[in-house]
Amino acid sequence: MRIRLSLAVIFAMVVLVTALFIGPEPINPLHIKGIDKEILLSIRLPRVLVSVLMGMGLGASGAVLQGVLRNPLADPYILGLSSGAALMAVVGIISGLTFWGAFTVPLLAFIGALTTGVFVGAMGWKRGGFWPDRLLLAGVGLGFLFSAILMLIMTLSSDEGLRRATLWIFGDLSMTDWAFIPYGTIFILAGLLLSLSRAKALNALILGDELSHSLGFSPRRERLILFISIGLMTSASVSLGGMVGFIGLLIPHIGRFIIGPDSRGLIPLSALGGGVLLCIADLIGRSIIAPVELPAGIITAIIGAPYFLYLLRRRDILGT
Amino acid sequence: MGHSDNTILEFREVAFSYTRGNGFIEALSFSIKTGEFIGLLGANGSGKSTILKLGSGILKASSGDVRLWGRPIHSYRHKDRAKLLSYLPQILDMNIPFTVEELVGMGLYPYDTPPELNIDQAIEMVGLGEHRTTPLKNLSGGERRRAYIAMTLLQGAGLLLLDEPLANLDIKYQIELLRLLRDLRARRDIAIVMALHDINMALQFEKIMLIRQGRILGTGTPEVILTRDSIREAFDIEVEIKRDSEGPYMMYQIIS
Repeated sequence: MRIRLSLAVIFAMVVLVTALFIGPEPINPLHIKGIDKEILLSIRLPRVLVSVLMGMGLGASGAVLQGVLRNPLADPYILGLSSGAALMAVVGIISGLTFWGAFTVPLLAFIGALTTGVFVGAMGWKRGGFWPDRLLLAGVGLGFLFSAILMLIMTLSSDEGLRRATLWIFGDLSMTDWAFIPYGTIFILAGLLLSLSRAKALNALILGDELSHSLGFSPRRERLILFISIGLMTSASVSLGGMVGFIGLLIPHIGRFIIGPDSRGLIPLSALGGGVLLCIADLIGRSIIAPVELPAGIITAIIGAPYFLYLLRRRDILGT
Repeated sequence: MGHSDNTILEFREVAFSYTRGNGFIEALSFSIKTGEFIGLLGANGSGKSTILKLGSGILKASSGDVRLWGRPIHSYRHKDRAKLLSYLPQILDMNIPFTVEELVGMGLYPYDTPPELNIDQAIEMVGLGEHRTTPLKNLSGGERRRAYIAMTLLQGAGLLLLDEPLANLDIKYQIELLRLLRDLRARRDIAIVMALHDINMALQFEKIMLIRQGRILGTGTPEVILTRDSIREAFDIEVEIKRDSEGPYMMYQIIS
């Protein structure tokens, strides 16, 4: 497991460094001119870092959520957090709020996601613990409601706001800024470390509540901690650059092929894999028909959906 | 802790109900000592599983006390309790993503330093040596159950509460598992309580607790406890107890 994880780290580093030098304006790493340095430091580097952070958060929270809900088809967005984030962000974009500069939209999205998370948690809580099915249904129900309100707002709004809102919904990293990075790092790393510290408990939860009790865990407490870690990672990811689809669903499955289902390896590998995939998707999105940028979320879905269907055909994901 | 004898688990006047006001178990008292191997025998719905879940701390008694080594079971930290007691549910999720080795290895989770058994030994004990790296979903129902049993053995607790561990096992493995548990008990002085519903299998036990509607009808050797009358009361069937050179066995007949 250690060797595979180390290889994955090396692979990720290579991809990230490569991504810095490729783009609509390729940069020769052996010969960096003045303007190149500017592009590298103030545009490419923050963008690569943000895409990696987002991807890490989504990949890891997908791996955790699929275990907590004991459902291989769960995606962090199914909890409705992303819909809550999208609703708040789009309200901010369309009404042109700028009370906190470039931070306004991410902050609104973060608040939207966290509030939704707390609400879904409250709905899924009964008799002193989370009930996975209730969580799932509460998330789906709330997600539908928020999407409907979102559509309503978008239907009634003007063209320019609408375009930017649409971009955001599909995962738009073009607004990234160095200022986002410390805040994204704090929340995503906090969630990641929290879930890693509970990786054994997550394995036990996959066996069911009674066995995790027998193995020395409190299923209720572990689910609460893991839900908080998912909330932190998903909320921070969505707020950084919108709703990038498929990473949270897909990456944990690829991770299981490579390293197996043990959460102690799967969580870090899913974080790395998510970071790499989103970084590549964003690279493609900003280069392929430059100067027009495609939202990274569209690229991940175009790469992700066929692969997902392929997995479905192989029937591995349903364990039959 | 004011605990001197070798009682591992004790029920004191335990009451429990699944629905409010509808007592399922009332004033249940018994104790289990080190070295005992007890068959908890009863029909479906008699309360065997409920008793094991109360004993393992999964369910909380509505009144009375469940004590582990003299202390209320809920006063233990989860991890500490897991070193003293392990519980294997009757219904096991067979559709989990782990390999045999990964599943069995979870038996070590309560420990920072591994106890006497290691993963390979535990897997060998249940006869899955060839399937160490096989995903559980590729095994038969009986093999999967044995993998779970290996995990429970690896956990190394002094008290095993096993809910129908023989269900879905071939008769060969039923007998082997019983032998394995007996050996284990002899070597390590542990106590085992096993729920079962097969009366013939119960005859193999040294000690039986016969259960009906959350009450103990009797505790003792099968010869004493399993009579025509007690079996009629517990199972609603007429039986004939026969004996041959191998020991006693039952003939069932259906009451019309």
